[in-house]
Amino acid sequence: MRNVKGTRHSLRSTRKLSIIAQDPSVKIGGRIVIASIDVPAEELLSGPRGYRVAVVDYDVTANALYQAADLPSGLDGEYHDPFQDAPDETLLTDPRFHAQNVYAIAMRILARFEFALGRRVQWGCEGHQLNILPHAFAEPNAFYSRDDRSLFFGYFESFPDQQGHTRTVFSCLSHDVIAHETTHAILDGLRSRYLEPSSPDQGAFHEGLADVVALLSVFALPDVVGAALDGATGAALIDQSLLEKDKLASSVLFRLADEMGEEMSGVRGGALRHSIMLPPGKDYMNDPEFQEVHNRGELLVAGMLRSFLDIWVSRLSRIGTIVDGKKDRSLVIDEGARAADHLLTMAIRAIDYCPPVDLSFSDYLSALLTVDREVVPDDRYGYRDALLSNFRDFGIEPSARADSDGSWLRCDDEMIYSRTHFDSMLRDNEEVFRFVWENRKALKIGDIGYIEVQSVRPSVRIAPDGFVLRETIAEYVQVLTVTAGELRQDFNVDVPEDIEFWRPLRLLGGGTLVFDEYGQLKYQIANHLLKDRGDKKRQGDRLAYLWRQGFLDKKKDRAGNFSALHLARSGVQERAG
Amino acid sequence: MRPSRVVITSYQVGFGDCFLLSFEYTTEKRHVLIDFGSTGLPDGIPKNQLDLIANNIAERTKDQRLAVVATHRHKDHISGFTTKKLRPSSGKTIADLKPELVLQPWTEDPKLAVDAKGPLPPGFPLAAHHVSSLAAMQQAAGAILSEVKRVRYLSPSLRQELSFTGENNLANLEAVKNLMTMSAAREYAKAGDKTALEDLLPGVKVDILGPPSIEQAETITKQRSRDQDEFWHLMAHAAASLGPTRAQKVAPLFPGFTVERSGAQFPIDARWIVSQARRLRSDQMLRLVRILDNVLNNTSLILLFRCGPKSLLFPGDAQIENWSYALSQATVREKLKKVDLYKVGHHGSLNATPKSLWDLFDQKSDEDGPDRLQTLMSTMAHKHGNEERRTEVPRQTLVQALDRQSALFTTQSLKENELFHETSFDLS
Repeated sequence: MRNVKGTRHSLRSTRKLSIIAQDPSVKIGGRIVIASIDVPAEELLSGPRGYRVAVVDYDVTANALYQAADLPSGLDGEYHDPFQDAPDETLLTDPRFHAQNVYAIAMRILARFEFALGRRVQWGCEGHQLNILPHAFAEPNAFYSRDDRSLFFGYFESFPDQQGHTRTVFSCLSHDVIAHETTHAILDGLRSRYLEPSSPDQGAFHEGLADVVALLSVFALPDVVGAALDGATGAALIDQSLLEKDKLASSVLFRLADEMGEEMSGVRGGALRHSIMLPPGKDYMNDPEFQEVHNRGELLVAGMLRSFLDIWVSRLSRIGTIVDGKKDRSLVIDEGARAADHLLTMAIRAIDYCPPVDLSFSDYLSALLTVDREVVPDDRYGYRDALLSNFRDFGIEPSARADSDGSWLRCDDEMIYSRTHFDSMLRDNEEVFRFVWENRKALKIGDIGYIEVQSVRPSVRIAPDGFVLRETIAEYVQVLTVTAGELRQDFNVDVPEDIEFWRPLRLLGGGTLVFDEYGQLKYQIANHLLKDRGDKKRQGDRLAYLWRQGFLDKKKDRAGNFSALHLARSGVQERAG
Repeated sequence: MRPSRVVITSYQVGFGDCFLLSFEYTTEKRHVLIDFGSTGLPDGIPKNQLDLIANNIAERTKDQRLAVVATHRHKDHISGFTTKKLRPSSGKTIADLKPELVLQPWTEDPKLAVDAKGPLPPGFPLAAHHVSSLAAMQQAAGAILSEVKRVRYLSPSLRQELSFTGENNLANLEAVKNLMTMSAAREYAKAGDKTALEDLLPGVKVDILGPPSIEQAETITKQRSRDQDEFWHLMAHAAASLGPTRAQKVAPLFPGFTVERSGAQFPIDARWIVSQARRLRSDQMLRLVRILDNVLNNTSLILLFRCGPKSLLFPGDAQIENWSYALSQATVREKLKKVDLYKVGHHGSLNATPKSLWDLFDQKSDEDGPDRLQTLMSTMAHKHGNEERRTEVPRQTLVQALDRQSALFTTQSLKENELFHETSFDLS
């Protein structure tokens, strides 16, 4: 078959585009650090407007629409990067570069998720294309809004420097902020119920994971790792003594936190700084201060980043020294970038192994361990030990429903398969519901409320033996609406006393079903509705939390959700209700 | 020496507070003026209402001992203290009465105020960070107000709400200065402090129940106060990137790169997102002004006057965050149970009368009687909040509860020619 170029060769699948590697304040040799990254190649409309992302550069505060970027087609020749080698001044003052920057980074993050999951990933909002407004308003803020199908990035004036000069800070030029917001939109697509108010853990997870993805995707850029490691010394070797875990924590992590903190702390509220400064070894999870979602999200970031360092150090142990206890700097950096990349893949895949409602950090840790066990059954690189010990350092233990090694229990129950069909089970919600219904006893889902299968998705990866491995991930959600009185009387749930008996309350339960390549149920990862005492306690705790926070009175306001959350990062809290 | 009677004069200030407490001793009267401000008067009330009130206060207190309390710095609580250069003003009338004490919350202490263009660097006390962010919030309110005036897409009701809240949060420099200079004795108090009001009012115990200091507040507030300082300073100056407003317009960020409009219209493919972005922006501005409005409300002094068998509670506009410190203490809860008169917090908004507070009042009753709880509400409808979002002030459900379980007086019931309403208690 010939393609549009009239040849039988495949079209290019990626193109190179220049982006600002961190943010414009991070410079080497007086120049902004630029990276040239691969993004999926596509034919773009002016904007750029592509198959997943549409940049519309409207500024509400100034009521102005800025010129769209036109990224040239690759069909008549090679794909061309319009801002390759552009001077810093152009990068800062040309809104078309800003549009390219948000487009490229959002596409890269999306591609990163798709690569890890082996399937197309949808946004949490309607439609296939997410709008991005790189200069949406004058405000130190940036957020995802499901209802507006958009990411909004604000701009603001920096504080005066010593000479009294200020400059405009664009959140759309910060890799970290763009990756963070894009992750919100993707995670919302993968697990839409995570935006519903539930426990402090679930609220914190959206923020924490978005930070983890943002940070690890920055680390996966070798230039950035090099700069954070020892500046751009240009030396070919690096002293082994700099490569201990604690040293790396205080050099790489702190330096990065400082750099990111400097310009964007108005937007991010120093979250990264907070999470890195947390001394390990305390029971943070039960500390009242860490019940607040932003503080709590920092625990996830802390656990993941310190695991990253362990994995990096363990990979470095396999590189020999060259002379005087020194190692090849470029290899060290490569290993750092690879470690970050590997952990990022795990962090993304683990989402598939999480329950669809009422997620806790413990569930997520068990999911991470399970993902790794699937790929490396014997833990020969020690990643699982690293995760366990680093999460434990911040008070996070694996789920109580997990196996002794912390990963999810395999499903060993006899299931009825004969009433459903293998092929339909790979893609059809109705068929999976039939499976759930036929097996409701074995799946312990009870017979109250209603059940909805929300998604059936393939998960494809390369197995350790090099073959393609396809699993199917299905999510079902159980919904039960009862009054507070009924919950107390009929279900024995401990509902906060002040909640009026007549008030209808909506309870959620649900599970993720992972089918292996033969279509057999491998895992059921569930938070049941009201199966046992543990579930009743979970529901009671959730209601108490929602009641305290005023969520039970609040109208649905998803657009406002993230803008409020992000304000709260800056210590600016809005009370619900 | 102890007073035999107290008369509380509630003045008609529309949306605002102004209460004069006059304690009657055998040979003299002594007075405490609690707040004097307004951000909107009902139709038919003369424009010089604040001057009339100041004159009435002067008449009542002339040559008698007087203290002034400004619970917090919102316009609707202090605008009456504003002075005008070389012209008579309500603020000058009050200053001429030479109050012997001015009592304000600790957040007004000029010693904490640092003339900083940006947030304070680390190393300053948290209290200073908090005060610095309060100042930045008022600037942010100004920035939002200027955007509200400039843009044309806002619905009338939204514009009204944004303008009202924005304006109420602007800094009122003349009034602040007047409060700082009208008396030789000034106190800046936090929860638990002793006040010289007790010296002025023998036989009366005055408990300061709020606002808590940063040290008294929750640990989270402590940790975040620096971040907050930074955010509000950035917010206050964010639009500076666009340059000054001229003829209701600002320059775009990238003047050489704008897309021409045909007529007033943007290109067709951008219009949907343009309207979404505008709606979102208006929500966001409202969110921000509400947050800063709440933060300033929470700097309110909460005063409990106890004299003989009677307890009078004046909480300014304190909301739950301010109240929670007081309510966490058993001794305070005991005192609150005995309240006979409650000045309804924040003009009757839902957030300012926490349920846990209302539940404490033992004197609530559906039946009329001599000891029934009395409530005073100084308010005006359709100024603050929104019925659809159930945030209107006064909040209907609260008004119903007040009306049912207490003897409620609201300044809304004053007739056009009535300047005030008096409530009195026998203290013997």
